[in-house]
Amino acid sequence: MMRHPKWARFRQLLALCVLSFAALGSQAAAADWQDDLQPISASDWSPERAAHLIERAGFGGTPAGVARLAAMPARQAVQSLVRYQRIANPLPAFEPSDVHDPGLEPFAASRPAATNQARDTGEALGVKVKPGGNRRMQQVADRFLYWLRASRLEAHRVSYWWAHRMLVTQRPLEEKMTLFWHGHFATSEEKVRDYRKLLKQNELLRAQATGNFRTLMIAVARDPAMLSYLDAAQNVKGAPNENFAREIMELFTMGVGHYSEQDIREAARAFTGWNYAGLEFKVNPAQHDNADKTVLGRTGNFDGVQVIDILLAQPATAEFIAAKLYRYFVREELSPTLRTRLGELLRESKYEIAPFLETLFNSRDFYSDASVATRIKPPVELVVSTYRKMGLRAVPGIPDFNDLTESLGQKLLFPPNVAGWAHGRSWITPGLLFARGNFVYDTVFPPIDFVPTDRVPNQLYQILSVADKIATGQDITTATKPDGKTEGRGAAPMSMQVDRDEDFNTRLASYHAWRKAIEKVKPIPRSTAQLDISAMLRAAGCKTTQAAVDHLLARFLSAPVPSDTRQKITALLEADLGTADLTQADSYMEDALRNTLHVILSLPAYQLG
Amino acid sequence: MPEHNHSEHHHAGITRRSLMQAMTGLAAGTPFLAAHAARDMSKRILVVLELSGANDGFNTLVPYADDAYYRLRPKIGIRPVALRKIDSQYGFNPGMSGFERLFKDGKMAIVHGCGYAQPSFSHFTSMAYWHTGAPNSGEPYGWLGRLADAIDPALTSNFLVNIDERQSLAVNAARHVPVVFDDPERFRRKGLHQSRPLLDLAPQGATPSATPGSTSQRYLNSVAASAREASQLVRTAWSSYKTPVDYGLISVDLPKVAAMIAADLPTRLYYTAYRHNAFDTHVQQGELHQRLLTYVSDAVSGFMQDMERIGRADDVTVLVFSEFGRRAAENTSLGTDHGTANHMYVIGKPVKGGHYGKPPSLTELDAGGNVAHTTDFRRVYASLIEGWFGYPDSKALLSGEFAPLGIFSGST
Repeated sequence: MMRHPKWARFRQLLALCVLSFAALGSQAAAADWQDDLQPISASDWSPERAAHLIERAGFGGTPAGVARLAAMPARQAVQSLVRYQRIANPLPAFEPSDVHDPGLEPFAASRPAATNQARDTGEALGVKVKPGGNRRMQQVADRFLYWLRASRLEAHRVSYWWAHRMLVTQRPLEEKMTLFWHGHFATSEEKVRDYRKLLKQNELLRAQATGNFRTLMIAVARDPAMLSYLDAAQNVKGAPNENFAREIMELFTMGVGHYSEQDIREAARAFTGWNYAGLEFKVNPAQHDNADKTVLGRTGNFDGVQVIDILLAQPATAEFIAAKLYRYFVREELSPTLRTRLGELLRESKYEIAPFLETLFNSRDFYSDASVATRIKPPVELVVSTYRKMGLRAVPGIPDFNDLTESLGQKLLFPPNVAGWAHGRSWITPGLLFARGNFVYDTVFPPIDFVPTDRVPNQLYQILSVADKIATGQDITTATKPDGKTEGRGAAPMSMQVDRDEDFNTRLASYHAWRKAIEKVKPIPRSTAQLDISAMLRAAGCKTTQAAVDHLLARFLSAPVPSDTRQKITALLEADLGTADLTQADSYMEDALRNTLHVILSLPAYQLG
Repeated sequence: MPEHNHSEHHHAGITRRSLMQAMTGLAAGTPFLAAHAARDMSKRILVVLELSGANDGFNTLVPYADDAYYRLRPKIGIRPVALRKIDSQYGFNPGMSGFERLFKDGKMAIVHGCGYAQPSFSHFTSMAYWHTGAPNSGEPYGWLGRLADAIDPALTSNFLVNIDERQSLAVNAARHVPVVFDDPERFRRKGLHQSRPLLDLAPQGATPSATPGSTSQRYLNSVAASAREASQLVRTAWSSYKTPVDYGLISVDLPKVAAMIAADLPTRLYYTAYRHNAFDTHVQQGELHQRLLTYVSDAVSGFMQDMERIGRADDVTVLVFSEFGRRAAENTSLGTDHGTANHMYVIGKPVKGGHYGKPPSLTELDAGGNVAHTTDFRRVYASLIEGWFGYPDSKALLSGEFAPLGIFSGST
């Protein structure tokens, strides 16, 4: 391949809308770079490598962003991403809805716990039991479910806020590492049921994103969301709950196979009494086991921090964390030798994440053929990077970001289990591959029958039907009688019912809870993607359909596309426009360009970054 | 209830040994055994039906001879006269004529007291445990996904099918690509008419292995190809499927499974669910619960009839389960709250019908008012892995020794 002066070529790319990144520059030697942790040399730096860097260390780049990185020396480019603290990043803090009040604390473990408490004490969740009449504890049940609904809806708003950060941040690695830690220290609103704790954890993960792993691990072990998720309240002297001790060894530090069940039981005792009150960490000294524990061959009256230090001293821990970071940022497969070497590196850096990442991002291995454009983008990254490359300045409200990413398999703040998300090939199923293409279709041609699920409840609790029946004057028993899936067969005549005498009715509570929740929770703005591909191509100077297709391929794809596919896409665009000349089609080309973009982003290769 | 206390350990021992012998025979090249084992096993299909929301087992299969049941459920307990009695101890819910018939025909194994130690009362958490077959662990793959990887090292496409809005954790596999779809009509790419040739384009032949990204690229192309192919196959199978069999009002996707079996897809593992926590009957459960059970019972027995009709009844087994059972006592809203152990049902012509496992005691409840589990649910998984699919090493797949129950003919 010819070697032109790179900067001239890249300026040409930006200004004149020419060839794809892959067609530029030299990739000499990259085939032999696998497993080589030496830094690339200054002459190895190129726009396509800069594009790879921002694809992996962030959420993909626009041509301008790639050009900025490419214009710096390689090390400085890496440093600008990793040492981001110096970069101003004025982003709004999350604006909470006014959903919480002190009466909700401490929140009951379950609806029966709340109503039982009300029955026993005359009050629960800050609500008193009615002295007489029917459904005397109805308001307690209402309030319990209100908080569940409100917290969940608010968690969806937190996800929107976070996705917006990912989209517009000046420090993409900060958000990407926050996402990495969210998967590592997986904690779900499904169990925690308090968005405030998840937001606080999110802020913790961000603050420590590229800091010291020990600091982070200790902070997470004291984090209310994590303590709640892993049943800290049940871990008390004399009756330790092993959930947290097991996960800290299996998932957070060493990985399976490096400890015994006895180690878990002993470590659990060191964490006894660790709990939270509201949003704050709290140790209950009376519940802490002060006897000696033996963990991984060491004996003493350990507390949680000392156990964490014992775990961090294990070579297995450094290897486990290093390999996980490597698989996330570089590639899925790594040799045992490389794994050992990476573990040594992380231990040498005393568990400092930033220098470790710098080594990775500067390494030849990172830019080797085995690494570049081989990573299957996780759903959140797919969606955010697509929006970034589209030049959007806000995350669209249609399609809904949470429903969308959930349907693709990765809903923020709702990881599937304690292990977080399985990466790599597990992101791709036949149905999910269609769904990934259909996401692009719904972005360029938004659905016109969109229903905002932060206002209109889904069918799960039959809230709509209960609300409707109450509005038409039916008594509560009749109105809340479950429909089943269909009416008719086996259903008793409604008119025969009498209003039952009962303490409360959970179906009624579901309706009340939803009504109160949407009264308090701010709505998610529901605009569609503000997309202007015509302007994007005009600005890039594209004059022909071929130039347009080449620009879009270069802008969106990391992996190469065979030339006959390019020709077919160009032919499609040309047929839609009735000309190969974009200047002639300028006034009407947007829909055809959107269709072209849908086709391009539906290529299997688009799943790779 | 002594007649229910089979000596499973004894059976299981024999099962395991005879299977090991069969496998050894295979390895040694005993032609007769090998041919038989290969032919029989290779057509066997498992259909898993999840009843999400935690089905109330006590009102599904009522222990009507046990006074404790009526003491615990004075209002919602089902009177003996209303039940579909199957023996001197148990009767099915009045809505379950299909299950009653399947049991009386000897095609249903009822496994009592299924659960696990330190049970979770969260639908989500407990369901994940059942999906992975690995309670309290970080196991990322489902038990069916691991099973597929083990019994089909050739990675046959369309081997594992999951009919749902989203992929169940149960079918997550390290190597297999589960076919996941909901509505066969909608298992397709969106795209404008003029783009179809490009969207449905067969991927370019495998890119040379030296080019960057080739492995991932090839993988994606293979999924794209199988998506396209499965999409077409599934839609064709569905559109060409006609059956005279009545599956009842809510067929829980079983006609879709039947359509694919009828179309001879190479699928061996199907996963489907009665969705959306439907069985979470906290309030006024009586009629609703009976209706749900009728749907399930009608659908499963319809499916079995359909398998007879197409000549595949000897090759198909259905497993029915929930993430946990419900509290032994009724609550104050004429419903039931989250509980622990529950029945599992293994249904099919090849099944040795009857009761398995020890029924949990209704008089020795724990502090939370729950029965103690008597059968680890993974023993049923092991029974399917070893007894049905003939894969000898359930221990490796389930990360532990779980004795099979000897549910299948010829496996004892």
